[in-house]
Amino acid sequence: MIRGSIYSQSEGTTRKGSQILGADDARNTAVSVAVEVSAKVAENRKRLKQGKSAKDNVADLKEELNMDEHLVPLEELYSRYNTNVETGLPSAIAEKMADEKPNRLTPQKQTPAVIKFLLTLFGGFSMLLWIGGVLAIIAYIIDYSRDSGAPRDNLYLGVVLIAVVCITSIFSYYQEAKSDAVMKGFLKMQPQRSHVLRDGKWSEVDADFLVVGDIITVTYGNVVPADIRIITASSFKVDNSSLTGEAEALSRSPECTDDNPMETKNLAFYSTNAVEGTCTAIVLRTGDDTFIGKIARLVGKTKKKETPIRKEIRHFIHLITGLALFLGAIFFTLAMTVQKQQFLQALVFLIGIIVANVPEGLLATVTVSLTLTARKMAKNNVIVKNLEAVETLGSTSCICSDKTGTLTQNRMTVNHLWYDLRVWAVDPAVEDCFQKEHNSFKMLYSIATLNSRATFEETDQSKPLSEWRTSGDASESALIKFCQQIRPISDARKDNPKVAEIPFNSTNKYAVTVCEQRDEGGRFVVYMKGAPERVLARCSKILVCDEEAPLDDTYKEHFEKAYKELGGLGERVLGFAYHNLDTSHYPPGFQFDSEKPNFPCEGLVFAGLYALIDPPRPAVPSSVKACQSAGIRVIMVTGDHPLTAKAIARSVNIIRDETVDELAARKGISESQVEPGEAKAIVVSGQKLKEMDEEEVQNIIRDYDQIVFARTSPQQKLVIVEAVQNVGNVVAVTGDGVNDSPALRQADIGVAMGIAGTDVSKSAADMILLDDDFSSIVKGVEEGRLIFDNIKKSIAYTLTSNIPELTPFLVNVLLNIPLPLSTIMILCIDLGTDMYPAISLAYESAESDIMKRRPRDSKKDKLVNNKLLQITYLQIGVLQACAGFFNYLIVMGDHGFLPKHLKGLREQWDNRNINNLRDSYGQEWTYESRKNLESMAQTAFLLAIVQVQWADLIICKTRMLSILHQGMRNKHLIIALIFETTLIILLTYAPGMSVAFRTYSLKPIYWVSALPFACLILLFDEMRKLIIRKYPQGWVRRNLYY
Amino acid sequence: MPSSNNLRKQPSRSLSKQDELLSIQTQYFVKLEDLKLTRKQKCLRFVYDTDTKKVMGRTPTSWSKIGLFYLIFYGMLAALVAICMWVFLQTLDPRIPKWQQDASVIGTNPGLGFRPMPKDNEESTLIWLQGTNKANYLNWFDNIMEFLDKYYTPGKIEKGNAYLKTCSYTEWPTETEVCEVDVKDWGDCSRDQFFNYYRSSPCIFLKLNKIYGWTPDYYDDPYDLPPDMPKHLQDHIRNITRLEERRNIWVSCEGENPADVEYLGPVQFYPPVQGFPGYYFPFRNSEGYLSPLVAVRFLRPVSGIVINIECRAWAKNIHYNRAERMGSVHFELLID
Repeated sequence: MIRGSIYSQSEGTTRKGSQILGADDARNTAVSVAVEVSAKVAENRKRLKQGKSAKDNVADLKEELNMDEHLVPLEELYSRYNTNVETGLPSAIAEKMADEKPNRLTPQKQTPAVIKFLLTLFGGFSMLLWIGGVLAIIAYIIDYSRDSGAPRDNLYLGVVLIAVVCITSIFSYYQEAKSDAVMKGFLKMQPQRSHVLRDGKWSEVDADFLVVGDIITVTYGNVVPADIRIITASSFKVDNSSLTGEAEALSRSPECTDDNPMETKNLAFYSTNAVEGTCTAIVLRTGDDTFIGKIARLVGKTKKKETPIRKEIRHFIHLITGLALFLGAIFFTLAMTVQKQQFLQALVFLIGIIVANVPEGLLATVTVSLTLTARKMAKNNVIVKNLEAVETLGSTSCICSDKTGTLTQNRMTVNHLWYDLRVWAVDPAVEDCFQKEHNSFKMLYSIATLNSRATFEETDQSKPLSEWRTSGDASESALIKFCQQIRPISDARKDNPKVAEIPFNSTNKYAVTVCEQRDEGGRFVVYMKGAPERVLARCSKILVCDEEAPLDDTYKEHFEKAYKELGGLGERVLGFAYHNLDTSHYPPGFQFDSEKPNFPCEGLVFAGLYALIDPPRPAVPSSVKACQSAGIRVIMVTGDHPLTAKAIARSVNIIRDETVDELAARKGISESQVEPGEAKAIVVSGQKLKEMDEEEVQNIIRDYDQIVFARTSPQQKLVIVEAVQNVGNVVAVTGDGVNDSPALRQADIGVAMGIAGTDVSKSAADMILLDDDFSSIVKGVEEGRLIFDNIKKSIAYTLTSNIPELTPFLVNVLLNIPLPLSTIMILCIDLGTDMYPAISLAYESAESDIMKRRPRDSKKDKLVNNKLLQITYLQIGVLQACAGFFNYLIVMGDHGFLPKHLKGLREQWDNRNINNLRDSYGQEWTYESRKNLESMAQTAFLLAIVQVQWADLIICKTRMLSILHQGMRNKHLIIALIFETTLIILLTYAPGMSVAFRTYSLKPIYWVSALPFACLILLFDEMRKLIIRKYPQGWVRRNLYY
Repeated sequence: MPSSNNLRKQPSRSLSKQDELLSIQTQYFVKLEDLKLTRKQKCLRFVYDTDTKKVMGRTPTSWSKIGLFYLIFYGMLAALVAICMWVFLQTLDPRIPKWQQDASVIGTNPGLGFRPMPKDNEESTLIWLQGTNKANYLNWFDNIMEFLDKYYTPGKIEKGNAYLKTCSYTEWPTETEVCEVDVKDWGDCSRDQFFNYYRSSPCIFLKLNKIYGWTPDYYDDPYDLPPDMPKHLQDHIRNITRLEERRNIWVSCEGENPADVEYLGPVQFYPPVQGFPGYYFPFRNSEGYLSPLVAVRFLRPVSGIVINIECRAWAKNIHYNRAERMGSVHFELLID
């Protein structure tokens, strides 16, 4: 078997000899991506549809597995694809083929724009408004058919309602389309160029135009442009991290080494990176047929869950729609039967009740709020693909995080050294944390520098050393970066030119170089590095404190102890040795032969160990802590080795307590004997996971607080995420590889990495961290929670005015008084004065440290719960309605219609032929004049609503704190208050408004009458909040806190 | 409520941060027993939960507590509204409207009304007379009588302490007096004559809307009459020699179109002064006040044709606009 990793990974005591086994597992897991992902998705789909398409997918997969292109001789392949290794494809044919089937991934099938638009046009409250609008037009038609001089109010109303639906739908569609567009631009891949042989000539074409059978060359630095089979290669290496998530350089050569297409060396896959060497190859699969293409396609078919906020809004819409229809039906029948109203009149009530119940502007408000937050997050380098995902992070109760590249830097770093029989920790922050002057260290430096193929590709002094680009594999890069700090490696290499080299191979597990030491008069030195125990086996001495001592059992014990210790930390340990060649045997100018080594590779002097680790990102430990104190559990799900995973988990605070295996080791019992309650932490390997059923996985999630899943396959990631969801969590998944994509898709919110992430993972995710920084997630959680709170406040604010809008119609029907508020005015409030204030609440700052709060329970903490409805509808709303009616009664009374007189007056009032309706003072009113009075009273009602909405806006700023604590720092809210007031002044006094909205200018005195009610609202709510704060467990808190 | 119980349970001191986290986490877990219930069972459990004795999510105690809260809340709110209303009503005078004339929406342009009002169809202003049909004209007669009842028996409505005065141009009423409207001796347009409906020359009664405090500005200068005033009315005014007798709100009734004028024929007015005498104004909401009336008798309207009639009231401060029916009234007459 072939591995990409040069060195095995140390695993400490639990491993028996074969240290390579672990790495093999990793590879095996990685290569089984195709089978498992596809099988899982296919299974999902089968469950979903039970149809033919599922079978088709399975068939697709079979085909993938039955691939034989890597097995057959190249000549057969050439003839199969009608190509020629000397001349390539004829370009005419190739171009035609490329036209028919370009080499790119078909973008995921999007819902057509028209359907999306229609959904917004008829979804949500729109349907109710359509009903209202159509009813209004019907009412006008009926009216018109009786009397051609009928007032056109109903017609206008119908048109306005339909216009409102259209405009709000266009608005939300536009918002969504805009965030979609952002993503599309983001996903647009850079066009790749590729060297291709056609008509016997090499040329460069867009990778899009590659077709099956093309002969191409791939050089390091390129992305492999298709699934290819290697024809010739020179030290060609690819990095399959985009497939497997493990960043390792894997060598590729023309030999077929395995029947499994994923494991054989002669295939390279689309979208993987060539990191070293060059090759010529034949294109086997392109575009969607490639391995990546298949995963991408199948991932796209995984059904996306409904976002929590959408769920909440749907719940809310159902609630309000139900209420609207219920009230509408009751009052319609009441009007028809008890009041013996005409059908037309009852219809007008019905429309009014519907319009009053529907918060027309609310969905737009929510969209705007989410957009604002998305914009805010974009500033923090978080791109949100799906607007609603903004809130999802806030509801998240569990984060399943990939390790490599998310929690860690995905950059190997030297963490420990072992020489002179002791372990030295490398801490970049501490100077002289190890003895640089010791000969042993100098030797380690020389070996690491001189036995290495890695070089710096750039030496940009302005950047920190750790960010310099290097060629070579991760371990060697880490070593040269470490060495560069001590002394520039180019100097050392210049002084010690390499004369011979045995590269690493999997049987030896070591690499040897011979260098000439120019300072020492051309003496040659053999340098070796490799798997520690293999290197040690070739040593007879050990360098201890400047002396070469014979390697006896005490030293070997020392070595074993250090090796175990470092391995136990999850670090990758490398052994180093050297041999100063005798100048008499190997005089200057001696010809070394790398092919048939003519220099000793045994009896070396052991110099020491380097221990490497992919260290956690600096901000991660504190971010994980922040998540935990916010009640969010962080679970690590990684393809990496359990020990490494555990070590990283511990260093980033994911594991804080003794794990089950540690407990078992301490007590000397087997892991299965450990009771679930005994330990809080557990590391579950993919191997164990394979044997569990879903319920057992769920039990692990229920029983343990700190969980690490290691050595998991993509399919298992999916299973884990599903299990965590089924236990009742809202799950965020972070990841960067193609192997993470199914899990990203399954998650309630998938978070992909912007820099390290693959395109497939990005397209599967809902959110992208542009700076790959886990701490951005914490920011996201905060923003998400804040926006949830603020949307709640917006809704509370908007819903409150429903009661003063609704009651006029109810009272109109029940008591037969002249209509206190017109339908058009309801729209003025919902879409005019209430709009900006509701949006301004999105800017409201948090009331308390929202990151100290536990995440909301999606089963109980609803966006709109009965407490919110109680407070808005039954308390503040009623107060507001009182203010409105008070204003209405005052205007009526001041003009002669005393309250007692109004009851039962409606029929005469609305009769166009009664031109002398008597008021309480014997005055007689013409139709025209009393309609003007009605307009005036309605305007007063409208004004009262606006005035009490001032108070409502202020009380909605907080849910618990006093306004005195919260202050009025939200400048948008202040502008909103001014806006609202200006609008009502315009509506009342501006010329033309009386025609458009049937308003009537009011005497200044009517600006005062509703103010007591506004004060009352402020007082009442402050009192409620005071009691809530004072008695955190009290009845008021439990019943009147939303 | 279970959540409240959880809240009340203070975490013990020994509980570590981790335990806390785990116990928080468990809140999110789906309860295993919940998974077993069907939708219907869940609904039934919501309506009545036998374990917790909850009806619709609340125990009876909880219901009574929330009920009590709302009782108090609404009780106090009602009291508050009542206080507000009481304060407001204190600002009103029982006899004098707060806002009058131009300060009020009612304005200073009284509308003109007519009787009888067609009752079968509220939207209609057609007086359809079938002179030979006794039921029909009795119907109209009753319609008018309903309106004129209080004129024939003034004390019937007012409880009689108002001092009714027979006013004349020289004897205007004082603050406490109201002028009598004498409709008894209006000849053909009297009750005894069935208002002439049976003779197909019906009387239509006109009245001006009452507006508190409104005083007419008379056309009392025979040489300063508006040009659109009908010629015969101008002549009629000029024929009145005494200035005080010209202090009337004049009334004219004509066909709306030239054809209507022709079909309508001659018109006779009661009282013969052809208007509302000025001593009835202003209206001060005094008890026993009755609006002055003008009866219009169409002597020979052509039968079988709908005649559009417009009657106008004339004073300098009555503005006229046919489209908005200001200062005028419109009705149709059809005689079979």
